[in-house]
Amino acid sequence: MFTQFFGNFLLYQKLITPEQLLEAIRQKQETRMQLGVLAINAGYMTASQVERIHELQSKMDKRIGDIAVELGYITEEQLAELLNAQPLGYLLLGQAIIDKGFMTNSQFEAAIRSYKEKYSLSDEDISNNENSKSDTLIASLYDFSKTSNPSLYKGFVTLLMNNFVRFVGDDFTPLEPEFEIQSDSYKATSQKINGEFSVMTHIFAKEKELIQFACRYSGENITELDEYAEASGQDFINLHNGLFTVNASNNQQIELTLTPPAPLADLASEEVNGHLILPFQFPFGIIRFAISI
Amino acid sequence: MNINELKVLVCDDSLLARKRLKDCIISFGCTQVFEATDGEEAIAQYNNNKPNLVFMDIVMPKKDGIEALKSILEIDRDATVIMASSVGTQSYLKDAIKAGAIDFIQKPIDNDRVKEIINSYCSREEED
Repeated sequence: MFTQFFGNFLLYQKLITPEQLLEAIRQKQETRMQLGVLAINAGYMTASQVERIHELQSKMDKRIGDIAVELGYITEEQLAELLNAQPLGYLLLGQAIIDKGFMTNSQFEAAIRSYKEKYSLSDEDISNNENSKSDTLIASLYDFSKTSNPSLYKGFVTLLMNNFVRFVGDDFTPLEPEFEIQSDSYKATSQKINGEFSVMTHIFAKEKELIQFACRYSGENITELDEYAEASGQDFINLHNGLFTVNASNNQQIELTLTPPAPLADLASEEVNGHLILPFQFPFGIIRFAISI
Repeated sequence: MNINELKVLVCDDSLLARKRLKDCIISFGCTQVFEATDGEEAIAQYNNNKPNLVFMDIVMPKKDGIEALKSILEIDRDATVIMASSVGTQSYLKDAIKAGAIDFIQKPIDNDRVKEIINSYCSREEED
């Protein structure tokens, strides 16, 4: 979750524009981690030290890591540790942003420091994605204590993000929640959850975006809003809500049931106004998921 | 029983879920796969095709999977019905087993589980 929320953080701190974020996310796959960004993230080097090394490197034929050790900025052990570390998604995103020239090393250094401070994240938290600190990030999106059942709502949204990562892709940024829709050109499918946690859920997007979502989710080559595109939205909402009912049953002994997902249709504003609407920005556009509160 | 003699019925209201499961079953060498999109159609298809194995979703329009399962067992006490659903909650599991389902697969469907079920059915039929 840290990658997704790091994008969200940069966006809402106005450190980059939505267009820049999208471009960096698209670039991320081809991005190679540079030692400088790793060292800044670990707190081993400052941005100005990294820039000094880059300057020196342009004059001599030596590797960045060796120069850093020679200058006494880092130890051999720290160098080995940095080189062996798994590249973390949010750092790759940071690297792509720096490569594109959207931020400088020192802007990145300041951003990463305030991101960690804001959510009290340690390096261990970030290396371990299953960490309970994901909760802190999810809770920063919306104040779930205002809902009738904070733990179920929070569990629902946490699972939703994990399911987007698992079934659609990890290259999204959760945008700030909305409580009404501004467009009348959304196509939606919906599903009702019944029982102790009785809520209405919708997944919706504009036609073009829904087709892209369907391509990814189904693994089929879908080019128009056909029956496969429709089935993808229904299948995803049913799968997500189904997994949610399984968790509620196993972890909280709450037995819920589902209605069959509704056919794809134009979304009328009154269907979702006042609901918690979560927009997920993917490179191909925004997919929204709404849950009544 | 040889897998190419096996008849399988896939019941799911999701076109995508049916396609995925059908593709998976065909990839194991099965040639006769029938489809139903809701509980009522599942019963009709069962009557028409007398499949050896049935994969049944639970949340479906018209008649849900548990009701369809009960009706199929009324027609054929020896029907082999496997529930394949996203809602593997304690109470749905209990209802399914009580109604006579022989197994339950939680969605997203793991193809190896499907293979295991088909293979064990085919080898069991060989012994009989």
